[in-house]
Amino acid sequence: MKLLRGVYEGPHSHGILRVAASVRGVHALLRALPGEAYFRTLYAASERTGEMAPVTLSPLREGPDDSKAPGNLARDLSGVVRRHPKTEILILARSEASLLSGEGIPAALPEVEGTARTPRLVTFPWERPGMRETEAAELALEDLIRSRMHDRPERSPYPTVNLFGPPIFGPGAAAEYAEAERLLDMIGVEVNARVPLGANTGDLGQLPRAWANVLLYREVGESATLYLQDEFGMPRVMTPMIGAAGTGAVLRALGELCQLDPKSVQRTIWAELARTSKLPWYARLEPPETFQNRRVAIFGDFTYPLGLGYALAREVGLQIITCGTYLTHLERDFLFHANTFTERAFVEDDPEEVAARIEAAEPDLVIGTHLEEDVADSFGVPFLPLCPPVTNRPFVGRPLMGYAGSSVLADELDKVLRGKRVEPTGEAGIQWTDEALQEVSEVPLFLRGRARRLAEERARRQGSGEVTREIFLESRS
Amino acid sequence: MTILNESGIPDVLPPLHAVNGLAERLADILIVVAGTQVEAHLVQSLPDAPSPNLPPSRRNPRVVFAVIDPGDPPQQGLLASRIVEGAAGFRGTGLVLLVAGRTAESLGVDAAFEARLVARKLDLPVEVVNPDAPREVPDILSSDLEDSFLAALVNLCPKRKTSDLVETSAPAKRGGLFGGLLGRGTEASDSDGGRPVVLLGGIHSPGAAQTLAAELSRAGVEVAGSVPGSGIGELPPLGEGTVVAVMDPNLTSAASVAERRGATVVKTLMPVGVDGTARFVQDVAGEAGSRTSEVARARSAWEELGVLRNRIRGKRIFFTGDTGLEIPLARFLADAGAVVLEVGAPRLDRRFLAAELQALGPDVDVVVSPDYRGQTNRIDESRPDVVISSPGLHLPLVARGHLCRSPRDFLEAGPYGYGGARRILELLVLTMERAQSLDSLNL
Repeated sequence: MKLLRGVYEGPHSHGILRVAASVRGVHALLRALPGEAYFRTLYAASERTGEMAPVTLSPLREGPDDSKAPGNLARDLSGVVRRHPKTEILILARSEASLLSGEGIPAALPEVEGTARTPRLVTFPWERPGMRETEAAELALEDLIRSRMHDRPERSPYPTVNLFGPPIFGPGAAAEYAEAERLLDMIGVEVNARVPLGANTGDLGQLPRAWANVLLYREVGESATLYLQDEFGMPRVMTPMIGAAGTGAVLRALGELCQLDPKSVQRTIWAELARTSKLPWYARLEPPETFQNRRVAIFGDFTYPLGLGYALAREVGLQIITCGTYLTHLERDFLFHANTFTERAFVEDDPEEVAARIEAAEPDLVIGTHLEEDVADSFGVPFLPLCPPVTNRPFVGRPLMGYAGSSVLADELDKVLRGKRVEPTGEAGIQWTDEALQEVSEVPLFLRGRARRLAEERARRQGSGEVTREIFLESRS
Repeated sequence: MTILNESGIPDVLPPLHAVNGLAERLADILIVVAGTQVEAHLVQSLPDAPSPNLPPSRRNPRVVFAVIDPGDPPQQGLLASRIVEGAAGFRGTGLVLLVAGRTAESLGVDAAFEARLVARKLDLPVEVVNPDAPREVPDILSSDLEDSFLAALVNLCPKRKTSDLVETSAPAKRGGLFGGLLGRGTEASDSDGGRPVVLLGGIHSPGAAQTLAAELSRAGVEVAGSVPGSGIGELPPLGEGTVVAVMDPNLTSAASVAERRGATVVKTLMPVGVDGTARFVQDVAGEAGSRTSEVARARSAWEELGVLRNRIRGKRIFFTGDTGLEIPLARFLADAGAVVLEVGAPRLDRRFLAAELQALGPDVDVVVSPDYRGQTNRIDESRPDVVISSPGLHLPLVARGHLCRSPRDFLEAGPYGYGGARRILELLVLTMERAQSLDSLNL
């Protein structure tokens, strides 16, 4: 057990609900304590569409079960069937409190009144307390797809693919799908289904129609596409579609899989490089000094830090001083890929430790999740929130994938790198006494940089050449 | 007034979200949330005062999470030593609050024991708050954690014995916390038998206690202090002989802790709205040993509100229920001439709110444990002018074309006292005016 200042991932139930709320026709019943039902509020606030989340709470209550109030699991399940007659799949997600209580779960659902139709109940026997959001989302998506695989649909007569992208709440999730679909359309490949965001339950059963699966967001699509590969022999394309080179690689690989004319694919890529993709153009326009010796620290999930790492290292020429992920279950994969562009790849899910790694790397730019913002701020380093989870919710989603995404990336870099030259690190002239350093070491890591800066400013104002314990304490009060 | 029980699932913001707000409000507090990933993620995802269009949550460094791995539950004492280590980084901590709910409990964490251990090692007060603690009346209000927290603070107040009573009523100590502030500190020796008054509540409106203390001192009662007040070090003595005046309708457990310590909790209206404030001042003063009549003051306050009341008159208002503030708010708005269609009460403690319920107008329906889907349908049917909605329903209702305000907006504006009555009406009028001007646009 550790004391953390934040968490990167939610509990497993949150991951299941994110997948469930992404697919139309799915309703989720969350078995949890009454005080744990925050998904609906989050959904309303981050989607801002005005729709209500397809999630119902079945409150875990103590006491005799003689009232008609919600809380009886079997009755709550039939309640959902009655109230949401259009539901085709009902998912039961259980919070840790429910799992720890050891209660049983019903196996079947009643039919919808008057239709003789019974929605399918999907439960997850692999749920266990302590499981994290992303891993659960991945497994839930696979189970959801398995539950719809009744027969083998015919392969489509023309080339089609499935897009496996981020679930709901992913930053700009819908925009990522849209950009990928736009590019595929240009090389003449149709999108069979977007999974999970934007699919409906019918689409899930028709996935094997497609010729291949494109994994935009491996964190969630991995095991589902592996299942489709084993069961239906569907090939998958796994390169992150980030940066111009990554996008081009995906399009060429797909062209090959779908037996398209390589020349016409290449023509499309060139046209896009000329028209849409501004990252290579930006890299060429800027003088080399802008990027020279610029050290970048990247931290996030899996696809984004890896894709950004490749793109920034190869296409832009920045130095990726360190790159990390909080997805501990993908440790080996991540280190394998990250080691190709950085010497300091790491896996860590404690924000304090991440802050320590970033501090040790002395970066000039931090790219990370919303938890890294304070860290970058405290060292006075520019920060780009490009890896989920982030807290900004723009009304217009901007992609980070594809050629349009590479231009977004170029804009972001231009904003933080423009006009700034690397300053000599370390304040010359100001010394620290041992007692003062002792005090600094007690400050939480992510506040340390700022504390140091304030103390040095104060010392300078007082005309003192060194930071003493007194000056440090005064600067903190 | 009718009370119906709908036995539904109310849309209530999880009480744990309040952790951020508490840390914001009291500077010298360290909050440790013990539990699993759920609790940590919840606190981090929901900001302290979620407006429906919620801004990114501000992280307060004084909130830390003890995330327990269910596969490897901690040994006894481990949590305590982690907290002691963690507390070293925070200067000037006056109170450690250990928030440990049912999940932590089922993983074998004995929060009370750990808290005692931390208290001994750090030599600081450490209080345990259980957000899932069973209550007399089941169900939750989004403001439950504030209640448990104030109950913990009441426990921390220095006890007060009968012998102290004599001492404190000596003129030298008269005046109370706000006495000097109001410039009429020492001359209030006329009420000799007067008992010290402590205000309880107003956690979201920092200036609220001062406002009410001013009202009470006008009535000849000096307020000895308030909980939460301005810090842990300045909690007023609270015990036998103290008169406790509760400002918020959700503070059931804080009030009962005060009662258990021997204080007298005044059973009266909440100081929200004109009549509420008048009754509050009158009854608190009466309990403290000073007779006063607020009739004239209330009448002039109503007169001053005349213009605003004309704007509110006949407007139909629906409360979905979230914080518990809805009941006094509905009472005031009904008195001011609005038509209250329904008041949702996720949890209703009828004994604690007896005075409030009695004062509700005859045409007001209270729905206990309302179902959010049923409420949405009723709102669609009755098309109220304004819905005071919980955060989860806010956006869906706005999308259906209803005009919404969050009960938290009122809490933050400071609904207490005669000035608060005006602020409540102004907030509503402003909301309606803005909606009108937006509606008149030709898009």
